[in-house]
Amino acid sequence: MTGDPMHAPFANEPTLELRRAAVRARLADSLATLERELPISVPVRVGGDTRAGNDLSSTDPGDPERLVAHAAVASESDVDAAVRRATAGYRSWHASGAAARASALLGAAAWLRERRLELAALEVRECAKPWPEADADVCEAIDFLEYYARGAIELERGRKLLQVPGERNELRYVPRGVVAVIAPWNFPLAIACGMTAGALATGNAVVLKPAEQSPGCAEKLVQALLAGGVPAGVISLVPGEGEVGAALVRHRDVNAIAFTGSLPVGLEIMRAAVEPAPGQRHLKPVIAELGGKNCVIVAADADLDEAIPEILGSAFAFAGQKCSAASRVLVHEAIAEHLLDRLAGAVTVLDVGQADQLGTDVPPVIDREAQERVARYARLAERQGRIVAQAEPVPDRGWFCAPIVATDLAEDSEVLGEEIFGPLLAVQRVRDVERACDLVDELPFALTGGLFARDPGTVRYVRDRTPVGNLYVNRGITGAMVGRQPFGGNRLSGTGLKAGGPDYLLQFVQQRAVSENTMRHGLVV
Amino acid sequence: MSGAGNPRPPAAEALEPEIHRIGAELAAAFPPAARHPMRAIDARAMELASSDRELKAALFRFVDVVPACRSLDDLARHLASFLSELPDAPPPITAAMRISHTKAGRAALGAAAAGGVKHMAHRFIVGETPSSALGIFKTLWGRGIASSVDLLGEATVTQAEADRYADRCADALERVADAARSWPERPHLESDHSDTVARANVCAKISALTPLLRPDAPARGQRDAADRLRPLLRLARSVGAHLHIDMESLDSREAVLELVLELLSEGEFADGPSAGVVLQAYLRDSPAQLATILDWARSSPRTPPLQIRLVKGAYWDHELVQARAHGWPVPVFELKADCDRNFEALTRTLLAARPSVRVAIASHNLRSVAHAIAANRAAGAEDGDLELQVLRGLGDELQDALASLGFRVRTYCPVGDLVAGMAYLVRRLLENTSNDSFLSAQAAGTPLEVLLAAP
Repeated sequence: MTGDPMHAPFANEPTLELRRAAVRARLADSLATLERELPISVPVRVGGDTRAGNDLSSTDPGDPERLVAHAAVASESDVDAAVRRATAGYRSWHASGAAARASALLGAAAWLRERRLELAALEVRECAKPWPEADADVCEAIDFLEYYARGAIELERGRKLLQVPGERNELRYVPRGVVAVIAPWNFPLAIACGMTAGALATGNAVVLKPAEQSPGCAEKLVQALLAGGVPAGVISLVPGEGEVGAALVRHRDVNAIAFTGSLPVGLEIMRAAVEPAPGQRHLKPVIAELGGKNCVIVAADADLDEAIPEILGSAFAFAGQKCSAASRVLVHEAIAEHLLDRLAGAVTVLDVGQADQLGTDVPPVIDREAQERVARYARLAERQGRIVAQAEPVPDRGWFCAPIVATDLAEDSEVLGEEIFGPLLAVQRVRDVERACDLVDELPFALTGGLFARDPGTVRYVRDRTPVGNLYVNRGITGAMVGRQPFGGNRLSGTGLKAGGPDYLLQFVQQRAVSENTMRHGLVV
Repeated sequence: MSGAGNPRPPAAEALEPEIHRIGAELAAAFPPAARHPMRAIDARAMELASSDRELKAALFRFVDVVPACRSLDDLARHLASFLSELPDAPPPITAAMRISHTKAGRAALGAAAAGGVKHMAHRFIVGETPSSALGIFKTLWGRGIASSVDLLGEATVTQAEADRYADRCADALERVADAARSWPERPHLESDHSDTVARANVCAKISALTPLLRPDAPARGQRDAADRLRPLLRLARSVGAHLHIDMESLDSREAVLELVLELLSEGEFADGPSAGVVLQAYLRDSPAQLATILDWARSSPRTPPLQIRLVKGAYWDHELVQARAHGWPVPVFELKADCDRNFEALTRTLLAARPSVRVAIASHNLRSVAHAIAANRAAGAEDGDLELQVLRGLGDELQDALASLGFRVRTYCPVGDLVAGMAYLVRRLLENTSNDSFLSAQAAGTPLEVLLAAP
């Protein structure tokens, strides 16, 4: 290796310019190419060894008969073997240096880049992620690889310390060792890739447990890393359901856990992580990105022409299945009627349909359980408030939910307090922005928040008062970009330093300060 | 790199003396500044805003929020809030800030600011409704100036809003066409070589005719808009009005053009109405776009010929920012000279494409206008075979000059209330104070030979 392979500064991977017909025309071909490959076979990968199986399958949420991937489910002994391989592998991986590791991650990024459309097509099928969102997810995965590769090189230089005559002081960052990555299905490449790339870039080995709904995407990620030059010994894949993750979390030799998912599972992981296994000689930090109950505040001087489309996109794109998605609107009473009226009209015309259709505004949710959960909240909203708009018709095959706008909900309604993770938006009138901030402040979650206002004083006020990790002003509240909107929540929304931000990698390293006496026989040598 | 970077063809080079002669003639026909005392004040305000980036941003953000303010007090608070962001405010602004500390002061400041914005808006917007603007259209016509009505409105996000916009378009077509019947004869405004030119002229925006237009999935929005556009085309034909489809940002360009050409190809519109589309010269791929339109026009048997309005384009900042944010190739020329050269090349292509199309050149750039007139004459055509268009409030002096020299000039007249008009107003103000703007150069006293120099 010759020095720093990262000659170019980081830049986000450009998304497809889908407003051009010629670009759109390429999508159908890529879907056809992918379909010839289905179902994808996802093995358990332990080091270089693979074991195929057919224990678990993922299907198209828009057509549950369509098989997308079948996967082997890792046994407890697979998990054990994967952790052992990781323990054996991470030292030499770390010793190869940040530049060499970065070069492998950039290789993985290049591999993904070459297959962007096919990978997006896989997300369309496996997670019913609509094309623009699927494409953005692939781009974000590439961004994480590129960004953390550069960050790790920077980190390897250490930090400057005070130097006085007679001593040499160094602050170094060293890997934690084995990182268990437990990934969600909603950003099936990007989030799995981000956590994995952060750990690998800093010299850790990773055992990846993907969501049971998206093993196919995880397999592609591992293929990319291997093709890029990440040694098989430092990336293992253990597909399965909750018990595989639990076995991984409990394992004595796992040094840290990176998790993105729901609050209940996150808390379970944290409880398991604090209890040392017999013979365990370290603490297991948990890096967790959890749920949200994200509010958009609309001040009286907001530009509704801008606010309405942005609120719609934030609440209903990908059927609201983003931890950053808008789930409540807190609108100033002076414009509440007007907003509600226009929002209701705009929701009524949303197109609920298949993810592979570009015109689809709202795709199906991920599975039957999700569909039932959203339906339960919809019934609650009807009982505890008033449904003002609902888009129809909704296809009957597949896990579809009608997007809904509800209002006049009782203050203690579960619809206002719990994460629904579906296309249901609650609108509340507030007497002023202060009251809106009080309501936001009462929530246990603090992930994203939005504000539509034109008075700079209002913007300052909300910025200073909000507890959220990501505040978006006069724009949608989803779609954080690596390096531009470092992403992560406060309170019950997460523990971590922000993904895609300058401090993220610090969670995957330990610090080591070395102070050397340079005096010999009374001389500084 | 781009076609516009190439040297001008010899034929164009030969036009130069004539362009300068016509440009000087037009400049001499501009009304003296004394005839527009309010313009002089506006010009000073615009000059102040143009020279100070921060102040310009504060003032534009204020103008933008005016319609959303609920009282004079609220208005004054907003103004003070924007101005308080300025790093070092000039003395008049510090005074305004002091006034805003008391309720009475805010009432006075709010009233003054509201008056200022209203005055500015009235310069660009001719009335709240087409009916209320009929007097202005008639007066313009009497002075030898045709008009085109543009209906400003809130964004369309619901079907009800799309229906209301379509109703307003229909209302404008009927009322203007009805009123226009009693206007006096102005032969050079109402006919060219190929046919008569409609007196009543209304513009419509496709994005306002449907809430369903998505940049990455145009089909559904196109179908929905078509259902509202067809009745408007029928109405325009029956009342003898011209219906012009405006162009907005690149997000909707393909959808708009495809839809319009498709509808005009339908059998029922084979003999009318008179209709038009827009070509934006700031787009790098506008020559290819024009080729597509001309292919269609040459193979279309319909009459009267499609009118193509050549403009520079009003979404330059938006296109640049959006492309940069996404990492897409920038679709617009980033250098003014490249855009101006392209404008002239497109002008010549358009003029050569007659009689398959009718040509309207919409620009406030004296050079671009003089070039169009010279190229038209060089092509052996009459002045009346070329339409020149200006914007109400921005191109008034040029409009007067063109009318006094007997050219066919049409003024684009926005109609709507202040709320609806604000986005339009802010765009126009930005355009007028942009350092690259021909109008600011002209206002700053740039010598005529520099203004008329080949780009």
